[in-house]
Amino acid sequence: MLRLDPETGKQKWYTTDGAKSVLSAIISILIGMAVGMIIIVIVGLTKDNISAKGIWEGVRLVFLGVFSTGRESGALTFGFNPVNMGNMLFRATPLIMTGLSVAVAFKTGLFNIGAAGQYLMGTMGTLTVGLTLGNTDCPVLIAWIAAFLTGVILGGFWGAIPGIFKAYLNINEVITCIMTNWIAANLVTWWFDAHDIFKNSAEGGKVGYIIPLKNVGVVTPKMGTDVLFPGSQANGGIWIACIIAVAMLILLNKTTFGYELKACGSNRHAAKYAGINDKKNIILSMVISGALAAGGASLYYLSGNTEFFWSTYMSLPSEGFNGIPVALLAANNPVAVIFTGIFMSMLNVAGMQLKYLTAYNEYIADIIIAVIVYLSAFSMFIKQLLNGREKKKGGNK
Amino acid sequence: MTSEYVIEMNHIRKEFPGIVANDDITLQLKKGEIHALLGENGAGKSTLMSVLFGLYQPEAGTIKKDGVEVKINNPNDATALGIGMVHQHFKLIEVFTVLDNIILGAETTKMGFLQKKEARRKVIELSEKYGLKVDVDAKVEDITVGMQQRVEILKMLYRDNDILIFDEPTAVLTPQEIDELMEIMRGFAKEGKSILFITHKLNEIMAVSDRVTVLRKGKYIGTVNTKDTNKQELSNMMVGRPVQLEINKDDADPADVVLNVEGLTVPSKIHKNDAVKDVSFNVRKGEIVCIAGIDGNGQTELIHGLTGLEKATAGKIEICGQDVSRASIRKRSQAGMSHIPEDRHKHGLVLGFTLEQNLVLQKYMEPQFQNHGFIKFDEVRKYADKLIEDYDVRSGQGPVTVARSMSGGNQQKAIIARELDRDEPLIVAVQPTRGLDVGAIEHIHKQLIEERDKGKAILLVSLELDEVLGLSDRILVLYEGEIVGELDPKKTNPQELGLYMSGALRKGKEAEQC
Repeated sequence: MLRLDPETGKQKWYTTDGAKSVLSAIISILIGMAVGMIIIVIVGLTKDNISAKGIWEGVRLVFLGVFSTGRESGALTFGFNPVNMGNMLFRATPLIMTGLSVAVAFKTGLFNIGAAGQYLMGTMGTLTVGLTLGNTDCPVLIAWIAAFLTGVILGGFWGAIPGIFKAYLNINEVITCIMTNWIAANLVTWWFDAHDIFKNSAEGGKVGYIIPLKNVGVVTPKMGTDVLFPGSQANGGIWIACIIAVAMLILLNKTTFGYELKACGSNRHAAKYAGINDKKNIILSMVISGALAAGGASLYYLSGNTEFFWSTYMSLPSEGFNGIPVALLAANNPVAVIFTGIFMSMLNVAGMQLKYLTAYNEYIADIIIAVIVYLSAFSMFIKQLLNGREKKKGGNK
Repeated sequence: MTSEYVIEMNHIRKEFPGIVANDDITLQLKKGEIHALLGENGAGKSTLMSVLFGLYQPEAGTIKKDGVEVKINNPNDATALGIGMVHQHFKLIEVFTVLDNIILGAETTKMGFLQKKEARRKVIELSEKYGLKVDVDAKVEDITVGMQQRVEILKMLYRDNDILIFDEPTAVLTPQEIDELMEIMRGFAKEGKSILFITHKLNEIMAVSDRVTVLRKGKYIGTVNTKDTNKQELSNMMVGRPVQLEINKDDADPADVVLNVEGLTVPSKIHKNDAVKDVSFNVRKGEIVCIAGIDGNGQTELIHGLTGLEKATAGKIEICGQDVSRASIRKRSQAGMSHIPEDRHKHGLVLGFTLEQNLVLQKYMEPQFQNHGFIKFDEVRKYADKLIEDYDVRSGQGPVTVARSMSGGNQQKAIIARELDRDEPLIVAVQPTRGLDVGAIEHIHKQLIEERDKGKAILLVSLELDEVLGLSDRILVLYEGEIVGELDPKKTNPQELGLYMSGALRKGKEAEQC
């Protein structure tokens, strides 16, 4: 039911769908943080080495971790911390991309749970091409673009597989995505196992890792992040991710292509009736989705510092799955994904601060993230509650 | 004190934000009568019944049962008062058996164990007593819609309800099933049960009801005895202006062939045989050709094969001389075909989209609405405003209303606006008036005749005999996927048409055994 402003006759801003989405996301986040706080208090009370002061410090760090500037004469200090801020943006980059990946697929009515596999394919493509071209005379810019595009294309291809199965055989994409995830994990492990030249044998004790791209000089330029956040890992990748997010918003909301994708997602039969090629659109949507997830991996590893543990056949990268809550909290709005992605990485940074500055370990942050992940599915329900409350109010008037 | 009425709803008022759904409505139900509640879509019939069934609380007014005022807070209270309801959309669990569905919520148990034997005996007894044929052990998903409705009726009887509400019960039934239902309802009335019958079909009211209460736009218009009134008067009361029930049109003046179909064969999704077998026909400029038949005789598949929603295995389709037998849906539509689909929720609309987005569903890719792939939102809005105005599509927020929130009649109007405004030479209209009220039906019929007179070729699929006989210039009867007869509506009658539809008569053949 709609509530109209008696004076202007227009819908009140807080009753719009967008406002409700934001509100329900914030409620989910607050509940998640509250649960985290309770856990901090409980852990603090049961541990002898954490005092009441320690508990209070933990609580503050969970909320204000990014603003922590360390300790001064025993007390926590807060303020602008460029390293934390920069690292938050750096870690947000892959989350924003996988969040976009999940969001775009959702808009087309598909649940891309295969972002993890697509992310791995992107990792493989980017590292392989980056390291290979980096050792030749190829200009850095060309090598960068080639490495990025290879990752993105491989990810798009990996996303196309569940798309094709869905479009032509009507096999649920969730099942094929889970399978392609593990195929990717094994494929990537095999690829790097078979190619010793990519393994980091120069630095002792790092044989399990791939040579970081900074060793060959193929890295993303800082694009001003070194000035804004000196000393942090932040690089131009975050700007690229933001530009891609805006591009996705335009693609989905302003173009005929986006109209077709959403029509297919909302009602495949009606789209078909209107002459829209539903099969093509389902596949394309998964290709874009896969390319976005892989782009996250490409940007992450093109930062140069990051090292890839290649023997990954037993595990999938968490970025792939964390894209799901990022997208859900953002109600699948591509620009909102930027903020929810940054928020998730903020919790991550807060976790690191907890570890460095208190007797707590960083897993508390993971628990909070887990609760929010859980509640992000819940945010739909909260939105319904908001709707329902209004209906009831309207009915009893 | 005993009252003449088993149920009295006095001066009921029910508001929703921005709208008064029921405004001072009084309804009195006598014992043993069939009382019809008549009104257009959105007149407040369903709201009133929901108030009676405890789903809504009225803002004002009282409900009396046998002269005693009662308060009905929820459906359980209603059931306790003996009020039962068959909803328009059945509330059955598809994977449960008929028996399980009937006893659900009113199970007899002994120490926590179900006592199905007893229940089973009672259900079978009831079904025999009232002629409600059901297979108690079949799963609901496997039985016909007609039988599902009988299950719903048995649910009420099992709970010993004696006030039975039927919400648009005939919308989903075939003509034969409707006749059976009428018979069953008469049986109930004879037993002393009281029936409230919500409908907007005048024929059924005349056939079965004792009294009629008419609502219009949330207001009470009046209650009349069925025997003292007629269809014309009722429809005038319902719509609020004189309605033309008869369809008036000039003779057709067919010209060139627009659609030519030869040997079309479409496989069935349900069984191994073809649903449409070697069907050939044509539709010419300036005529309405109607495909008549009982539901499920291949109409849907024929239209799907024609429009490209499903693949035909054989046959040739030409639109305006262009062979589109193997063309995509879009190519066919661009060759000159607009299509008002049978299922407006499945095919006709993207319910999650706004009205304006739906209105450009067939046109968004045209240069008028896009520039290098970017949608021209101003143009879309302008076009939507124009269609809303021209075709009188009513909705809460105009072009930005979400299609899901619109009434069925206006959803259909939106689809018709979109398809007719494309101005294609061929219009395929599949059950364009299904589920609509008299006023809307009249309007759509007029529009179709106007289009015909403009020189459009119209292929109509309809299950309503009145519509088939009144609207068409030529009738093709489809029986088990074959065209068994071509009739001239002026020279035939419902009886003959019925014989063709049931397969008893065939073109060029003497009557076969039936």
